[in-house]
Amino acid sequence: MIEILDHTADVGFELSTSTLEALFEEARRALLMVVFERPPESGAEERAVLLTAPDLETLLVRWLNELIYLTQDAGFVPARADVEIREADTTGLALEARLAGATLRLEEYGWQGEIKSATFHGLDVVFEDGAWRARVILDV
Amino acid sequence: MNFERLSQYKYRIPREGEMEVDAAFYASEKILDDLAAEDYASLKQLQNVATLPGIVEPALTMPDIHWGYGFPIGGVAAFDPREGGVVSPGGVGFDVNCGVRLLTSRIERAELERRKDRLADALYEAVPSGMGRGRPDFHMSNEELELVVVEGPAPLVERGFGEAEDLDHIESGGKFEGAEPGAISARAYERGLPQLGTLGSGNHFLEVQYVDEIYDEEAAGAFGLVPGTVTVLIHSGSRGLGHQVCTDYVERFLKAAPRYDIKLVDKQLAAAPIESPEGQEYLEAMSAAANFAFANRQLISHFTREAFVSAGLDGEEHRLRLLYDLAHNNAKFEEHAGKEVLVHRKGATQAFGPGEEDLPEEYRFVGQPVLVPGDMGRYSFVLAGTEGAMRETFGSSAHGAGRKMSRRRAKKAAKGRNLVREMENKGILVRAAGRATVDEEMSEAYKDAADVIEATHGAGIGRRVARLRPLIVVKG
Repeated sequence: MIEILDHTADVGFELSTSTLEALFEEARRALLMVVFERPPESGAEERAVLLTAPDLETLLVRWLNELIYLTQDAGFVPARADVEIREADTTGLALEARLAGATLRLEEYGWQGEIKSATFHGLDVVFEDGAWRARVILDV
Repeated sequence: MNFERLSQYKYRIPREGEMEVDAAFYASEKILDDLAAEDYASLKQLQNVATLPGIVEPALTMPDIHWGYGFPIGGVAAFDPREGGVVSPGGVGFDVNCGVRLLTSRIERAELERRKDRLADALYEAVPSGMGRGRPDFHMSNEELELVVVEGPAPLVERGFGEAEDLDHIESGGKFEGAEPGAISARAYERGLPQLGTLGSGNHFLEVQYVDEIYDEEAAGAFGLVPGTVTVLIHSGSRGLGHQVCTDYVERFLKAAPRYDIKLVDKQLAAAPIESPEGQEYLEAMSAAANFAFANRQLISHFTREAFVSAGLDGEEHRLRLLYDLAHNNAKFEEHAGKEVLVHRKGATQAFGPGEEDLPEEYRFVGQPVLVPGDMGRYSFVLAGTEGAMRETFGSSAHGAGRKMSRRRAKKAAKGRNLVREMENKGILVRAAGRATVDEEMSEAYKDAADVIEATHGAGIGRRVARLRPLIVVKG
């Protein structure tokens, strides 16, 4: 579940899912909802992403920043993602994702504006009451 | 929220909990109402800043305070390197050295009105805005970019993108010393290279304006502001290069903070001691990003001058002169009350008072030009730095109007309206890459800049000099 937040200067969203992988997948979808009015839901291009991080919060920020980079700088809009998260020996956590994406088309997707970065402000990734939850603020 | 009124526009938040020092903020009655309406979220962020090690009393916010991430927007915090003072990449922000520059001219408003449509189109064509890349006719190699991050706009001016005199009218001469190309990641270069000379989106803009009112003849005279003449205000920063620098170093500092026993009440405040290897390396990277931002605004100014020429406003009588380029997201070593401190300004500007040596010679007797953009439908202001700011705010002042409405709320409020047409009816031409930005940036989404100026001028941390009104707005 995604709830877009009202932040005075920036934008954000709250996520709630049953699995950790779904949380990261929802984060991708929420990001696209912020960036586009009509985000693509499929794409013919494929990309693989491998990220590591010492904790879940850093992994989520890195994931979002990677998607922001792919969208804004590489012109690849990640329309779908297949995410796997596992513990890694030396780095803590590793995320592997297979992305299917579309070439960036500003007008077609109803571009809403640039995102500078995902922030760590008030960020917690927690498992409570049987659900994974996170709250993310983006700097726009 | 526990605070006490010190004077008409100044308030103190006494030290409590984890705070190392008192905090202080500036507000008019109206601004105070806005703070209460958000349940003092930005003042709580100010209290968080006051918990950082080595902070010099007080932690401050300017009258354009609003809710940020980590630091509040409008935040000013000085740290003493000899007392374990820290540097915080989040306290500088993602858009390192975001700032504004103001160009003046002798062009009369009436003359511009005759060419307004043509100029609006020419500007939109000449200055890349929105997402995407810079002008296809501007190229820069990786080696040239490395030179720019060390030297700022000077190499661009040498290549003909501007006038030598421009460099004298940029804060710090357009160059932060100590920039180190090796302190920036490959991804930061990759993102920055195609974006030099681009406005971006969000609240960034290019505005053609006219001088509508003068409040201080002497300072206006020194700044070259003449009633009824045309000015250009440019707001942009360090683009993807600066964003990446902040992203990279916030993560590194999160790891480093526990090693230095720094307790973080908010992860976005990740910090390391100024004197630590991490702190030093961030300052090298931040300086490089700051120099990129100065160069970005230099290139945009050059494109602006080209657009004026192509709209028929050519010749010496139409020359655009750089009044000043002023940053509002950075950290700088400065001397205050006899000691050297690192002043973070997150959505706040330097506002040095008369007599300060760092200022351009012709402005030194009136104080630093302080450029305060308002919203796109009303007005912007020029102030001068004051002795009061030197005494109370580490030589700092307000940087803008400050948002009061979230982007989402603004979009809802804009539904069913044609804001571009509304602006046109008020005599303001808008050229924008997309409707979303115009809706988000609607006038009503911002506090009235006049309220911010009332508190700033009233508190003596900036002296009102002139008001500028928009004629053309270019948005991303």
